[in-house]
Amino acid sequence: MNELLIQGAAAFLAVLGFSVILDVPGRFLLCAAACGGASWLAYYLSLERSPSLIAAAFLSSLTAAVLSHLFARWQKAPVTVFLVAGILPAVPGASIYRSVYNVIQGEADLANLYLMQTVQIAGAMALAIFIVDSLFRLPRRG
Amino acid sequence: MNYGALLEMAARAGEIMLVSGAEVYRVEDTIRRILKQSGLEGIDVFVLTTGIVATLTVPGAQPLTLVRRVSRRETNLNRIYRVNDVSRHFCSGALTLEEARAQLEEIAAAVRYHFWKKCAGYALTTGFFAILFGGGPAECAASAAVGTLLFFVLRGLARLRLNDFCQNAGGSFVLAAASCGIRQWLLPQMNLDAVIISSLMPLVPGVTFTAAIRDTLNGDYSSGVARCAEAVVVALAVASGVGAAMLALGMTGGLA
Repeated sequence: MNELLIQGAAAFLAVLGFSVILDVPGRFLLCAAACGGASWLAYYLSLERSPSLIAAAFLSSLTAAVLSHLFARWQKAPVTVFLVAGILPAVPGASIYRSVYNVIQGEADLANLYLMQTVQIAGAMALAIFIVDSLFRLPRRG
Repeated sequence: MNYGALLEMAARAGEIMLVSGAEVYRVEDTIRRILKQSGLEGIDVFVLTTGIVATLTVPGAQPLTLVRRVSRRETNLNRIYRVNDVSRHFCSGALTLEEARAQLEEIAAAVRYHFWKKCAGYALTTGFFAILFGGGPAECAASAAVGTLLFFVLRGLARLRLNDFCQNAGGSFVLAAASCGIRQWLLPQMNLDAVIISSLMPLVPGVTFTAAIRDTLNGDYSSGVARCAEAVVVALAVASGVGAAMLALGMTGGLA
């Protein structure tokens, strides 16, 4: 429980910092950071219960996307403002770097492993965002 | 209505969004909405990650076409948000064409967070990502220090007007060397990999790669492929910077 609190707080602060780097407007900073904290907790809890990276990435982006849509409607801002910050902790930045790094080092097997990981994570995240986007588009037409 | 000025304003709005890293479909949508204010039927907008083409077909006159080339891109959510606002107010009639145009120019010039706030952003991000990557207080402090250094190096390289590839490679070279130095002289028990990875987080193209797949799922195949290539090039720059630092340190005395 204690560990969970530390992880959530660290994700919140890390995303807060990144939101400043990405120029998120000041009054949306806390919402964006909350999005990131929640999505990282979903990632962390999912990995605790099953080793599947795909499931963890999918669930965390699902959390981030739903929260971003809710925040966007509440604050009357585009969804991207919250979504980019929200998916940040789970995004496969480290894997894509490790993949290319191993290509340079001549470690073909490791490069392949990390490339697979990158595609799996990014694919699962994109799919989750895509599903939530489509669902939130439904009621506007009716 | 002055169709030329409207087209010009719409393209400017789209250009600012595209330069700020907005998705292609969002840029197309905004330009189309603004052009709809002309009341004309023939509106065609085609946006790529590297440029904009928009055409207004005016009955009984020559069609108007405008092309904008976009080369540099960096994520700036503040600009995306504000351009979106301007376009909404313009379309609801709350802003005239001249007012919208003036606001767009102001948005393009605005700086949201100044030097020290950005610097704090880098330190926060890199420091707390170290904890997400399994580090403890030592890794957190080391990454925050390296992240701050990275910020100064990136600003310095940007002032030299180096291109993005060299900026990323140079930044990650200094970052990897500094991390190795900290482990050598200050914190021998430190988890080097966690520090390097978390300090790299501001550079690494995770969001770009995810956006590439989103664009592809949306049917924007050309921009999906373009973003994918962008992600690979950025990752290559970062990896070669770190790789060069490791190699250099290994040659000069086995730090790594």
